[in-house]
Amino acid sequence: MSNSNLFLKSGFVRAPLQNGVGRYVCQLQRIVLKFCKSHGGSRGMRDFIEQDLVDFARDNPSVVVYLKPRRHRSPVVVAEYLNGDRVWMSMQNKTQSEITKWIENMRTQQGDLSAVRLRKYQYTDHPSIQGPWTPFTFKNPELNVAKLPNPKFGANDRLPMSATEQLRIMFEKQRISKEEVKEEKKEE
Amino acid sequence: MSAAKRVQQWATFARTWHIFDCKWQDPYQSADLIKKYLMGMHKPIYHPMNDCGDVVVCINSRDIALRGDEWKKRAYFHHTGYPGGASWTLAWEVHNKDPTMIIKKAVYRSMKGNLQRRHTMERLLIYPDEEVPEDVLQNVTNQIRQLRLVPTRLDHIPEDEVRKFPKVMDYPKDYVYK
Repeated sequence: MSNSNLFLKSGFVRAPLQNGVGRYVCQLQRIVLKFCKSHGGSRGMRDFIEQDLVDFARDNPSVVVYLKPRRHRSPVVVAEYLNGDRVWMSMQNKTQSEITKWIENMRTQQGDLSAVRLRKYQYTDHPSIQGPWTPFTFKNPELNVAKLPNPKFGANDRLPMSATEQLRIMFEKQRISKEEVKEEKKEE
Repeated sequence: MSAAKRVQQWATFARTWHIFDCKWQDPYQSADLIKKYLMGMHKPIYHPMNDCGDVVVCINSRDIALRGDEWKKRAYFHHTGYPGGASWTLAWEVHNKDPTMIIKKAVYRSMKGNLQRRHTMERLLIYPDEEVPEDVLQNVTNQIRQLRLVPTRLDHIPEDEVRKFPKVMDYPKDYVYK
């Protein structure tokens, strides 16, 4: 996490009330388009209003659409959401197709997503089947009754076998096989 | 939060006490191991902003083993702050003065120098021999495995086992040991 994110709101990836599972509720409640009737910066916005706005309002009956003409000010879109978020976006010098895409983005998102630092990129209601980890999971139960310190639990048990030990084992095996041969001879 | 979940939280974030036997261990290699337990890096829940470090009790710090001729060559630097106040103390001198100092400095050096380091060091308890206070020992629930095998001296092995150990040849009876 960098310092620029210190004052950013943090959250998890979640859909409100399992939105989209079974039914979908549009999270956008109100959208206000502010523009100027004469300036060139609002050209794209005016084109959008002339050609696409009526269709947009007809397709989304749950969204309240306001138009706010204001003289000699730059065009702005303000969207308000069910969770209370308010997204302000400047549309200065944007073309009609750009504005169509940004408004589509605002319609489909569920709040002010760009102002949230995601703590994790995944979310689950059931984080673990076997239960959360504790210091005693996967521990040798013998430790519960052992008196520590104990060389049995303290000595390194992952070292490879030393050459001396290998020789000793070879010697033991040889001796045992010799004894077997002797016993067989005796039985004969 | 329900009672069961609260207990689950306590269990997951409980501080565990580990014991580590420094006998015949290299303090600088052991420090990297001890550091992980002190900072909680051995846990799956580890996160640098998460207070999940454990307590480590080191015993037998008097019996540490430095490599090569480091007892004679390794110097510890100290400066009093006054002009001419610099001093270099050899490892064997430091160890004679305080047998816990070398392992403490090794662990301190192995960790990154940030604000958390001194608080993490507070969780490291070092004892020069096997005598550990009872109230410390009763908390210990785990032992950290050593890095090296502790060698056994020949005169500490029972005589029967020494005699039974396979030999290529026997010295003649009139052989004079040097």
